[in-house]
Amino acid sequence: MAPSRLTAQVAGVNGKTALRFLLRAFGAAILVLVIWRVTTVGLAEGYPASFWISQALNGLVLGGVYALVALGYTLVYGILFMINFAHGEVMMIGGIAGFFALQFSQARGWLEGPWPVVVVALLLIMLFGMAASVLIGVTLERLAYRPLRQAPRLVPLISAIGASLFLQYSVLLIFGVSPHSYRKPALISGGMRMGDVFIPYTGAIIFVTSILLMLALYFIIQRTKLGRAMRAVAEDRATASLMGVDVNAVIVITFMLGSALAGAAGVMLGFHNTVVKFNSGFVPGLKAFTAAVLGGIGNIPGAMFGALILGLIEAIGPSALGIPTEYKDVIAFTLLVLILIFRPSGLFGEVLSEKKA
Amino acid sequence: MTALLSIQAVTKVFGGLTAVDNVNLDIEERSITSLIGPNGAGKTTLFNCLTGLHTPEAGQILFDGRSLIGLRPDEIIARGVARTYQNIRLFGRMTALENVLVGQHLQLRASHWSAVLRSARQQAEERAARSFALELLAFVGLESHAEVVSTNLPYGEQRLLEVARALGSRPSLLLLDEPAAGMNPSETDRMMELVHRLRDEKGVTVFLIEHDMKVVMSVSESVAVLDYGEKIAEGTPEEVRANARVVEAYLGPEVVLQDTVATSDI
Amino acid sequence: MTPIRANGAIRNGLIAFAFLGYLILIGIPGRIGGAALPVLALVAALFFWVRLRRDASGTDGSFPQTASPTGKPGWEIGAPGHTVSQEQVMPLPGAGGALAIRSGLLAGITTGLLIAIVSFAFASAIGSGASIQPVLDKIVPVNVAALIGVSPGQIANDEVPTLRYLLLVLIFTAAGLLAALAVVAARVRNPQKAPVARLSKSLDSQLYRTVARFTGILLPFLLLAYIAWLGIPGVSAFGSNEGTVRLLLTLIATGSGLFALRLVRPGREQNVVAPLLALGALTMPFILDQFQNSVMGLVFIFVMMGLGLNIVVGYAGLLDLGYVAFFAIGAYTYAFLSAPFSSPYISSLLNLLAISPEIPLLGYWTALPVAMLTAAIGGILLGIPVLRLRGDYLAIVTLGFGEIIRLFMLNLGELTNGPRGILEISQPGLFGLAPQSFSSGFLSSQGWIFLLALISSALVAFVAIRLNDSRLGRAWFAMQEDEDVAEATGVHLVRTKLLAFAIGATFAGMAGQLYASRQINIFPENFSLFVSIDALALIIVGGIGSPAGIVLGALALKGLPEVLRGVDEYRIVTFAALLVIMMIVRPAGILPSARRRTQVAAPDEQALTPGAEEPVAKELDGDTARQAQAASPQSEAVRDKEDQ
Ligand SMILES: Nc1ncnc2c1ncn2[C@@H]1O[C@H](COP(=O)(O)OP(=O)(O)OP(=O)(O)O)[C@@H](O)[C@H]1O
Ligand SMILES: [Mg+2]
Repeated sequence: MAPSRLTAQVAGVNGKTALRFLLRAFGAAILVLVIWRVTTVGLAEGYPASFWISQALNGLVLGGVYALVALGYTLVYGILFMINFAHGEVMMIGGIAGFFALQFSQARGWLEGPWPVVVVALLLIMLFGMAASVLIGVTLERLAYRPLRQAPRLVPLISAIGASLFLQYSVLLIFGVSPHSYRKPALISGGMRMGDVFIPYTGAIIFVTSILLMLALYFIIQRTKLGRAMRAVAEDRATASLMGVDVNAVIVITFMLGSALAGAAGVMLGFHNTVVKFNSGFVPGLKAFTAAVLGGIGNIPGAMFGALILGLIEAIGPSALGIPTEYKDVIAFTLLVLILIFRPSGLFGEVLSEKKA
Repeated sequence: MTALLSIQAVTKVFGGLTAVDNVNLDIEERSITSLIGPNGAGKTTLFNCLTGLHTPEAGQILFDGRSLIGLRPDEIIARGVARTYQNIRLFGRMTALENVLVGQHLQLRASHWSAVLRSARQQAEERAARSFALELLAFVGLESHAEVVSTNLPYGEQRLLEVARALGSRPSLLLLDEPAAGMNPSETDRMMELVHRLRDEKGVTVFLIEHDMKVVMSVSESVAVLDYGEKIAEGTPEEVRANARVVEAYLGPEVVLQDTVATSDI
Repeated sequence: MTPIRANGAIRNGLIAFAFLGYLILIGIPGRIGGAALPVLALVAALFFWVRLRRDASGTDGSFPQTASPTGKPGWEIGAPGHTVSQEQVMPLPGAGGALAIRSGLLAGITTGLLIAIVSFAFASAIGSGASIQPVLDKIVPVNVAALIGVSPGQIANDEVPTLRYLLLVLIFTAAGLLAALAVVAARVRNPQKAPVARLSKSLDSQLYRTVARFTGILLPFLLLAYIAWLGIPGVSAFGSNEGTVRLLLTLIATGSGLFALRLVRPGREQNVVAPLLALGALTMPFILDQFQNSVMGLVFIFVMMGLGLNIVVGYAGLLDLGYVAFFAIGAYTYAFLSAPFSSPYISSLLNLLAISPEIPLLGYWTALPVAMLTAAIGGILLGIPVLRLRGDYLAIVTLGFGEIIRLFMLNLGELTNGPRGILEISQPGLFGLAPQSFSSGFLSSQGWIFLLALISSALVAFVAIRLNDSRLGRAWFAMQEDEDVAEATGVHLVRTKLLAFAIGATFAGMAGQLYASRQINIFPENFSLFVSIDALALIIVGGIGSPAGIVLGALALKGLPEVLRGVDEYRIVTFAALLVIMMIVRPAGILPSARRRTQVAAPDEQALTPGAEEPVAKELDGDTARQAQAASPQSEAVRDKEDQ
């Protein structure tokens, strides 16, 4: 405790005048721009309220998926202080595996059966995707990251980039170029209508499932012995191991948990976007990382809220600013920069020493 | 004679904790002053305020008659206040010589263009910097280790190297944060001698934090004592040693009490 | 004891199977054709050999060659390191030999059985008419047939003789046996030393070293001469593959030139050899053909990029993943100036001003400062918001910037012409002459680009090295080591960081401009994240902070894949796998800079305690710190590797 605070005290540089001014000016300029666009363009378009609501619901669904992936980043970062750059690919592999499980169930006719059968089949599909992701995640940790635990931080990052490329192109080679398209079973392909707002079933299911999974994770971390060990390792690996925590096991389990969530996200994203391909994990992965940083990396509720906020802003932003939807990634990254300037430890981040940031 | 450094009512608060509480202290030119106090008393925090790593919430710091408040660390070292760190913070992968050269960063004026073209002026400046750096290494006794990567130096010599690096900026005030911490007796003696030579040969005013009472007593001309952020005593070493509040701060009131009880029992 | 051994052997077999299975899934046997089975068996044998040799050396993991002599003072006598390794005398050769053979056999059988089962499954599935391909793209009759060693027809008709599968098992078992025998044989002959050590010992004579040195220095010249000879019309040594082989030779020649530069002694020898090497390099564009020149041009454009990025990442320690932004800015600036008609916005603007958009606004050389300046301004503008960020945060934000720039290029159709790109960018001339007119056949258009890239890289390297050698370089490095202390030592952080961003961006801008004129037409896809990753990967593979390493990295990462054009499909996976392996085996790069080498030899606390625990490490009290220094980092690395 004391040592880290002592370092913090020297590291805690106050933003000094010139730099602070530059940053503030930069942030203020963007804020003014945003407010101006929103008032003069976005609101002037006169979209009906139902449009905004359905956009927002869309955003929540997307946010739920991002949250599952973001949790993987945050868990790993919290313990190993590395960006698992290949985490998006872990998710993609979950999606691919889910696709094959879906095909299999469809071939068996399980998805046309009575609804309990369909629900069980869908659960199995998701579990299969999660299992595939866990397998890949653990292998990744074992082969590409574990040997580098003592290395300077740049080294595992590069290794992760290599792993990310490797996974992407291996999937391309093994499963071919053609995108794999998810066909929704009839049971969940419709939607419900509430006034002017249409809510697709898949959207609702995705949102609810991600919330449930997040709650499960939160429970594991806060309430179980395993969770306590994880938190101990995150706090101080050396001390935790002196206290008898098996650090390696904890790290592997962290990767398993993160990958399982990512696998679920991959399957759900497959249903949401209808296609999965070798590179469809990359951009969501980046977004999820952004979300994790938004919420304060290493902070679990932060990742969830950061992801929901990111999903919302991405869904509403383009229309509100009156710009083409192609720029939604620009919005996401601009948001990230703004947050990091004004709250370097993220929206909900505990005050990390800047050393870590 | 006016003081070289004048700390006036400086207060630094972390959250709910007042780490430095309304401290006043004057340091005369070419003096050696020690700052002592129990762990967590706020000594390092005061140093951080002096060197611009923290901005105090209240108070004034005058150096050479001009305020240091609100200046960046690099502006403060440019004024002539250099420091070392309690937890050694050298540039680990640099050699000893390079560390001292970085210390001279502000002394060097040649433009970056001239560095690319290796103009005669720039070359002369670099040569001068190099020989000054070697001179400083010799001053602290590390002349034979100039090319050693600094993490490979023994602990005690790393502390000496930090002093040399600080001297690179030709400071008039040098802040040493526990210079003898973790040293063995002979290394400690060497450090004490160095502190004297800093003042006598380099004309540097020295303000140091130290826990080792032997060092404090033998090296300093005046001593200030901090406890819970407050200055509780100031004076010559003898005066401070005799001060009841200081004894209490170090040993705690109960201990003092028990002690008296114990003696009376006998 | 024995059961543990058996488990280990089966594990080895499983790992080998996993790896071979991967190769089968990505279709390697089909690629190799008839020789597939022996090749796979050889791969397995090699793997077994490595594993068995490690297992056989006994106590590996638990006693790495720990503690350099300083580690335990007065503990060792004699040459450092030697004592420890000699104490690890082999276990009894006889018993150990039998053990090794047994585990080799077991591992081989495991692998063989599994592969036989899998190939049987594939073959019978295909034979019975089930199509696997929609799921596993590469599991086609050709591939499976090559694996089993039969003809595709036999697979399709389901008439593979069962004996074939037995043969499969036998071949892999033989591979295991072979590996075990090799291990045992090596041990019997010389139980104490690894073959490499033995070899280097016997070659460690003065004469040998001198000869090797001079051969090393001469090699690039010999290769160059050979390449030139191959270029003479009528000479042909490699048939239809001529072009690719010459490219490979060129890459090797360039690389060996770098090693030659390291081999020469400073002083007179260097004064003679270095200019000769430079001259040799300059003749290359004249003797290569269009294809080879275009590859080499690209390689050296990436050298420029790498040198620029190295300033930001290697010198200043700011991890920038959005470096492609500046490359793009340079390229598009020149593109707008050179082909204004391609951009709707600019051409209408010019029409307003009554200037014809049909002719270039500026030539290559007059546009150069403009491109450099815009890139530098871009560097500063993108640098300001990230000034306060460190490490991974910086990486991710800059990565975001790179993507933002690309999205803008893609979507600002009015300005950049969107995905249709900017077309017909003009080539660099010389004193107002068009490139064709002065080269008069000696120099192909791509050769001219290569020549320019070569000269610019040399200039950039010169500037980078000199800057790094000045107070600015020291400030950068200090900042990388400890930002707060650097500031308290007088380094103006804002200025120093922005200078790094600006200089790095300037170099990228130069590279971008040359790239635009090399490509003639540029599109937003040319500036994807992969450019940043390539640039970063090449400086890391080459050796961060070392210009020679960067050239080598560019040769390896941008040049070699072109040689492998034939196996295009497998390029990226190979590259990616190499990246990971490289990080594990040689994180400092192929030709590391002196500083990185010292880092590997003696890391700061960071290497001993993971980055996260840095604060703890810094607070070590005297005794622990001393111990921490003493513990040999090499041993850490070794232990880690053995742990696997
Ligand atoms: N950046 C910071 N944030 C919050 N609290 C801090 C910070 N820096 C110091 N403190 C607290 O302020 C108090 C004074 O700390 P300081 O390091 O100044 O004590 P010190 O007198 O130097 O002690 P020591 O003898 O152990 O070095 C301590 O309680 C410390 O925990
Ligand atoms: Mg202190």
